[in-house]
Amino acid sequence: MANRGQVQRPAGSSLQGKICQFKLVLLGESAVGKSSLVLRFVKGQFYEYQESTIGAAFLTQTVCLDDITVKFEIWDTAGQERYHSLAPMYYRGAQAAIVVYDITSQDTFNRAKSWVKELQRQANPNIVIALAGNKADLADKRMVEFEDGQAYADENSLVFVETSAKTAMNVNDVFLTIAKKLPKSEPSGPSGGASSRRLDEGATDQASTGCCK
Amino acid sequence: MATAVKVDGYGFERPEDFDFETYEEFMSRYLSVLVRRAKKWEQLFGSSPLEDHLKRSSKVKRYTRKGIPGDKRALVWMTMSGALARMQANPGVYQRLLEAPTHDDPVIDAIRTDIHRTFPENVFFVDAPEGQRVPLFNVLVAFARRRPDVGYCQGLNFVAGMLLLVVKDEERSFWLLDAFVGGVVPTGYYTPAMTGLRTDTRVLAELVRARWPDVDATMRREGATFDLVATKWFVCAYVDVLPVETLLRIWDSLFYEGAKVVFRVAVTMVARQRARVAAARGLADVVSAFRVAIDDPANTFAHDFMADVFRVPGSFPMATIDKLREQCERAVLEEDR
Repeated sequence: MANRGQVQRPAGSSLQGKICQFKLVLLGESAVGKSSLVLRFVKGQFYEYQESTIGAAFLTQTVCLDDITVKFEIWDTAGQERYHSLAPMYYRGAQAAIVVYDITSQDTFNRAKSWVKELQRQANPNIVIALAGNKADLADKRMVEFEDGQAYADENSLVFVETSAKTAMNVNDVFLTIAKKLPKSEPSGPSGGASSRRLDEGATDQASTGCCK
Repeated sequence: MATAVKVDGYGFERPEDFDFETYEEFMSRYLSVLVRRAKKWEQLFGSSPLEDHLKRSSKVKRYTRKGIPGDKRALVWMTMSGALARMQANPGVYQRLLEAPTHDDPVIDAIRTDIHRTFPENVFFVDAPEGQRVPLFNVLVAFARRRPDVGYCQGLNFVAGMLLLVVKDEERSFWLLDAFVGGVVPTGYYTPAMTGLRTDTRVLAELVRARWPDVDATMRREGATFDLVATKWFVCAYVDVLPVETLLRIWDSLFYEGAKVVFRVAVTMVARQRARVAAARGLADVVSAFRVAIDDPANTFAHDFMADVFRVPGSFPMATIDKLREQCERAVLEEDR
């Protein structure tokens, strides 16, 4: 079954390091690749045909920023409009959201915008929102320009990235970027980003031996 | 018999971590149960028409609770659920529902999107002409047209897919789906507002609260609700949640006794993990406890599982369920205002 949660306990120096836990929700139209992004991030896997998510799936994954371990509790939601009535339960109290659309479909971009509006209206006012244009590997079928995504994200102060769950492009990066932006409840936290160590793709992989070296 | 094959009897590829040992242990005992039940059903059927034998009686109820033999399952489900009567009363309807063109229709586009995302790990759900993808598309399209108030709801793809795997006939699967949505489960499970579904997850919470206040207290403290952890149990009636043999046994009773069987199963699974849920700290921990409830190897033992389902939750009067539904539905409607 798809939502087998696993917690990665980083090896070594984590004992004296701080562990921060954050709730993150994925929202977006059906079949834009929400589950695929999570599966890529958590398990490093990809399936051409990912089963439709019913209700929501829950997974966890940790990433490390310098001496801080960020543990994401991820709610991967169902995309169909009628599951919308369940959505507030998943984004309530979330510190972060990734709103996903499919770059080959204008409709999914419009739907993403309405999710952003809903989050701005109803979610935690400090929520960090990332907009992800997924399926970037399908460039020849592109219907939403990179600039349009970027412009909308800029207007609304969102993190913006185009991703491909299939090729893994930018998948870990979007979670890392969010992790850096999240407040770590310590005034001198690495919120500036400049001091945070850039982690390579393998660093967040489930199979790796740990990211806090 | 059950050797280490990679695909089960219903075409599902077994995951790499499939527990063959547990399955072998289950099958070695279950086979003799199946043989015994098959004999009983043969005697029940005798030579006169099926309908005469499936009139509601405590004997038939007991028989279905102990499992319908595989070769009779489709026909018994069809008869008990009313699907057969629906089909006979509506000759040619299925074919006519499929006549209209399928382009430029957002409902049908939504169905199309999910066809490849239904049991991708099942060897029968392939694009080949004899595969189940075209029948699945047809069944869901015909259903969306017969029930425009429902249209297509994600989750019905798994229910219809499972029916096709068992019944192996497109039109019969369609009428079973029609009877399932229109009679077996309560109204409003699959409609756009999903009022019935959200009502029933709350009813489950009440049933749990009445039995195990400690489980209820932990869930409240951690902000865990049953629509958070159990939506798929209800929407898919345990398809893609529990092992196939167990699922089929649940459906045997579901088609005879109706939706309260869904509650019985849910309450039983909570009961089995009661200590773990009650002791959970943090939402993630609660969710993991429910994950364990689903992945529990004991769920493989279909016969024991069903014995528990009819024993552990205790008496289950429909009057209680109806009353709770009324009360919970009011809360759901209030929330939507």
